[in-house]
Amino acid sequence: MQVSIKWLHDYIDFNESAEELADKLTMAGIPVENVIRADEGLDKVVTGRIESIVPHPDSDHMVITQMNVGLAENVQIVTGAQNVREGQIVPVAMIGANLPNGMKISKGKLRGVASNGMLCSAQELKLDLTKLPEEQKTGIYILPEDTAIGIPAKEVLGLDDVVLEFELTANRGDCFSVWGLVREVAVLTGNTPKWPEIKVDENEPENTSDMVSVNIEAPELCYRFSSRVLKNVKIGPSPEWMQQRLEGAGIRAINNVVDVTNFVMVELGQPMHAYDYDQVAGHTLIARKAVAGENLHTLDDSSRLAKGEELVIADSEKPAGLAGVMGGLESEVTENTTTVILEAAAFNGPSIRRTSRSCGLHSEASGRFERGVDVTETQRALNRAAQLLQEMGACTVTKGIVDVYPEPKQPVSVYFTAEQINNRLGTDIPAEKMVEILESLCFGVTAEGEGYRVSVPSWRNDVTFMEDLSEEIARIYGFDNIHAGKPQGCMVQGRQSERQEFIDMSRLCLSYMGMSEELSFSFTSPDMLDKMNLPADHELRKAIPIMNPLTDEYPLVRTSLIASVLENAVRNISRKNEDLKLFDIAPVFYPKQLPLTELPIESVKIAGLMCGRRYPLGWNNDNNAQIDFYDAKGIVEEYLDKITVNRYTVEAGEHYAMHPGKTALFKKGKEVIAAVGELHPKIAENMGITKKCYIFDMDVDVLMKYMSKKITIEQLPKFPGITRDLAMLVDANVTEAEIERVISKNAGNLFKGVTLFDVYTGKQVEEGKKSIAFTMQFQSNERTLTDKEVDEAFQNILAAVQKEFNAELRG
Amino acid sequence: MEKQIEELRSNAIAAIDKAAKSLNDLNDIRVKYLGKKGELTSILRGMGKLSAEDRPRIGQIVNKARQELEDLIAEKNEQLKQEELETRLINERIDVTLPGRTNPHGHIHPLTLTLLQIKEIFMRMGFSVEEGPEIEKDYYNFEALNLPKDHPARDMQDSFYITEDILMRSQTSPVQARTMEAHEPNSPIRMIAPGRVYRRDDYDATHSPMFTQVEGMVIDKGISLADLKGTLETFLKQTFGPKVKVRFRPSFFPFTEPSAEVDISCVMCKGKGCRVCKGTGWLEILGSGMIHPNVLKMSGYDPEQVSGFAFGMGVERIAMLVYGIDDLRLFYDNDLRFLKQF
Repeated sequence: MQVSIKWLHDYIDFNESAEELADKLTMAGIPVENVIRADEGLDKVVTGRIESIVPHPDSDHMVITQMNVGLAENVQIVTGAQNVREGQIVPVAMIGANLPNGMKISKGKLRGVASNGMLCSAQELKLDLTKLPEEQKTGIYILPEDTAIGIPAKEVLGLDDVVLEFELTANRGDCFSVWGLVREVAVLTGNTPKWPEIKVDENEPENTSDMVSVNIEAPELCYRFSSRVLKNVKIGPSPEWMQQRLEGAGIRAINNVVDVTNFVMVELGQPMHAYDYDQVAGHTLIARKAVAGENLHTLDDSSRLAKGEELVIADSEKPAGLAGVMGGLESEVTENTTTVILEAAAFNGPSIRRTSRSCGLHSEASGRFERGVDVTETQRALNRAAQLLQEMGACTVTKGIVDVYPEPKQPVSVYFTAEQINNRLGTDIPAEKMVEILESLCFGVTAEGEGYRVSVPSWRNDVTFMEDLSEEIARIYGFDNIHAGKPQGCMVQGRQSERQEFIDMSRLCLSYMGMSEELSFSFTSPDMLDKMNLPADHELRKAIPIMNPLTDEYPLVRTSLIASVLENAVRNISRKNEDLKLFDIAPVFYPKQLPLTELPIESVKIAGLMCGRRYPLGWNNDNNAQIDFYDAKGIVEEYLDKITVNRYTVEAGEHYAMHPGKTALFKKGKEVIAAVGELHPKIAENMGITKKCYIFDMDVDVLMKYMSKKITIEQLPKFPGITRDLAMLVDANVTEAEIERVISKNAGNLFKGVTLFDVYTGKQVEEGKKSIAFTMQFQSNERTLTDKEVDEAFQNILAAVQKEFNAELRG
Repeated sequence: MEKQIEELRSNAIAAIDKAAKSLNDLNDIRVKYLGKKGELTSILRGMGKLSAEDRPRIGQIVNKARQELEDLIAEKNEQLKQEELETRLINERIDVTLPGRTNPHGHIHPLTLTLLQIKEIFMRMGFSVEEGPEIEKDYYNFEALNLPKDHPARDMQDSFYITEDILMRSQTSPVQARTMEAHEPNSPIRMIAPGRVYRRDDYDATHSPMFTQVEGMVIDKGISLADLKGTLETFLKQTFGPKVKVRFRPSFFPFTEPSAEVDISCVMCKGKGCRVCKGTGWLEILGSGMIHPNVLKMSGYDPEQVSGFAFGMGVERIAMLVYGIDDLRLFYDNDLRFLKQF
């Protein structure tokens, strides 16, 4: 909705500037988004007469003019324009002008001749070129001969109006009209509106009801349908003042009949439609539901097949338009129209909204119907339109209005007490003040019991509860005048769930360990699932499709957080951020079935990726060291330790995104609690990643099941312990975990633990073998150990590893 | 004899004073004169040959000389030790400007940091943190919030639908209804609900198909618009500093009545008017209002008994203002050079 200040001034006086008014309206809940000034940059542009023209001594194409701009002396201006003649009146930009095209005018010399301003073209003034005759589009803009000299050019150019552009809220349908806005302006400025007198001279002898019949077959979608007939219609342009008002409202002028219907719509908020009487079969208008498959031929000359839900206005043969959205092409008012049926109706908002959305047609009319129009306004609108056309001498009017209004709207009344309102607002507003505010907004207020009975004006469809009245009172009283309090009430504990705490803590843990957090969209695509190398029947392929995706890029809801992390890694690597340690904690979505009949499972995953240098480039670091599997595994181990998940087993296994030979599964019993491994080379290839990447994948709810949470300390030993080292050669394929298990099992009851401190293959180690070294701790809580008993335990261990792994002791 | 002692003494003093350059030299001098076979010790040993009357006198002289030399040596020893330490300290100098060895930490995403701070502020005010599903029923996302199908206010948010009745939530407000349902009717609630939300907005400098919101709701007996003002002013001043100005502007949301948009004085220009605030001096930061009676009723609360307020904010918007970020896409681009700054 936009409207010019001049239009508002037609109905109300106020002294506020456009900006001040915009601010008052905004602070009262009628938001003004922009104040548009057409005269921007025209401050120092005046009208001036060319008193003389002489050729420039040093230029063939420039001339020197003496301009009378209403000052004591003429002003000398050099121009290159070819269309100037002595005696013409033109717009003159004086020194200091800052033109709308960005040009700044200053004193200067052109080829040695002083020039103290500029004669302006239409383009330099940013006039609307499409409205100008051809000869005015180029060269200096020539003003009418009778133009006064030395006055601001904006007044002559009709650019002195200011337009307010509103961003109205969905509840205030009544403010989609000049009258509605004037009502608000009246309250906010304390001035009284002067409404135009609406009267029609029904100067045709015929009764409207004899000429046209109206029938509502779908009363749930059409609440009221009123019409008038205009005869002897002379189609032509509407008067200049009306065109200007419409232009200020952002509506293009077409012809007098259409312009009047638009004018009344903006003025009163009641959308209207005009039919060519002779093109309406049976001179009958029927508001009915469309029949599915019926052809709708609309004004934009496109044919649509009806779905069967739309409300149409039909004549006795066919639909003559989509009600409230767009008229039909056949019954359109044209140059040849001589008799017109005017429609002013009230339609069901949601139905109009559905139709307008499904057809992709949004009009000034449909927008107003969607928000709800004042059902009591139809007759007034018809009369206003007839009056305006009559005043233009463009028609005669038949007697009466055909008005079908099956269920007249009952006035809404709301009861309130001052205490209720003050409790809701936290204020101390006197009851009299509340009454005054409501009455200024045209609510009828009568005292009743402890409070008041309020009758709601017909145009305020948004007011049905006491709470709505509290808003009316608050917005006029001023939100600024309401003090800032603190909620009282019983004591409550501010906390978050254990799961939220866990997620926050996990983010902190991982970041302290050198990982950086990323956030990614919850979307994915079939292409991405292909790249993830997922077999066609894989569970993760069952991603939930979005009915109305934004682009082809993201038509699905993701099932893999690893995929999201990979996308971010690829983007970073392409920007030469090649040393990455990224993690993401976010949900993935598993449907219980497709298509969805119930909400999917939302599973919060912790995924990470590492690649590149192990240490940051530095003087004291091994700058060649690259991140490998064990760095990633270390992060997982350390993280699990921090969140108190212990006593798991680790074994080689498989994961959809990992290298099958380099995947470790952390398990609690049979349940996998974490997977870590090298990114599957096939996926890396699909993603165009040439670096070795290591990834991990965990699930918040699974991890939380195994948190020990409570720490119980172990007493410090009272007696010294003894350590023994064991270095041996074993087959290369024997795993560390197996050896540790055998050591622990055979170490006796003094054994406290074992630590691996070296693994070596290469020089001095036989092919197919590896050297592996452990240190073992022995300890007793009762006494100091003797070498003898530790040696015994050590011998048992040695015997066991020799037996199990054919291990060979190294010196 | 006495002369010999005196000679020895003065030789030793001279040697200590001049000859001793190091602790080793000094030790040699000590051995030479005072050691078991030292010169002064030898004289003492030879005292047996002296007469009985000479013996005490000479003994006294020798002991005196010995004491004197020992003191001098000790003194010299201290001095040399000090010099040696000073030399060592100079020689051991290193380039302290070389960077230290670190265990570089990672970075928390700026949206998480902002969210953590928002949660902290509200938790200190007694708010609990609630959650709800991101794929949500139309009922909770719209209908329970007084937004029936085909309500024009649904245009305010173009949503991603999965089916006719299930969508990717377009706001965190559905958690309001879910939280009320999880409580005894009319029991007090103070909660915030942070989370991801989804809208069919093109991805540009100020829009994203996925973004983060924080919803808030307080329900109790006698909660008023003034309480809403006080609560949000407290939050905004803790987030943007005590000098920030807060403005409440009447607005419309289907789930609140009265409704208010909350503006803060522009954090960039301090309210003078700039590009960020489009010259108005104000920045829209929050939507809020008194919970609509229909919303309370639909979730089993009685608007005659209790009242409440609700509010919602975009975390991206707040993070952008706090950190001076001018393009929302940076948050989801995850460029390491960006992440590293937090």
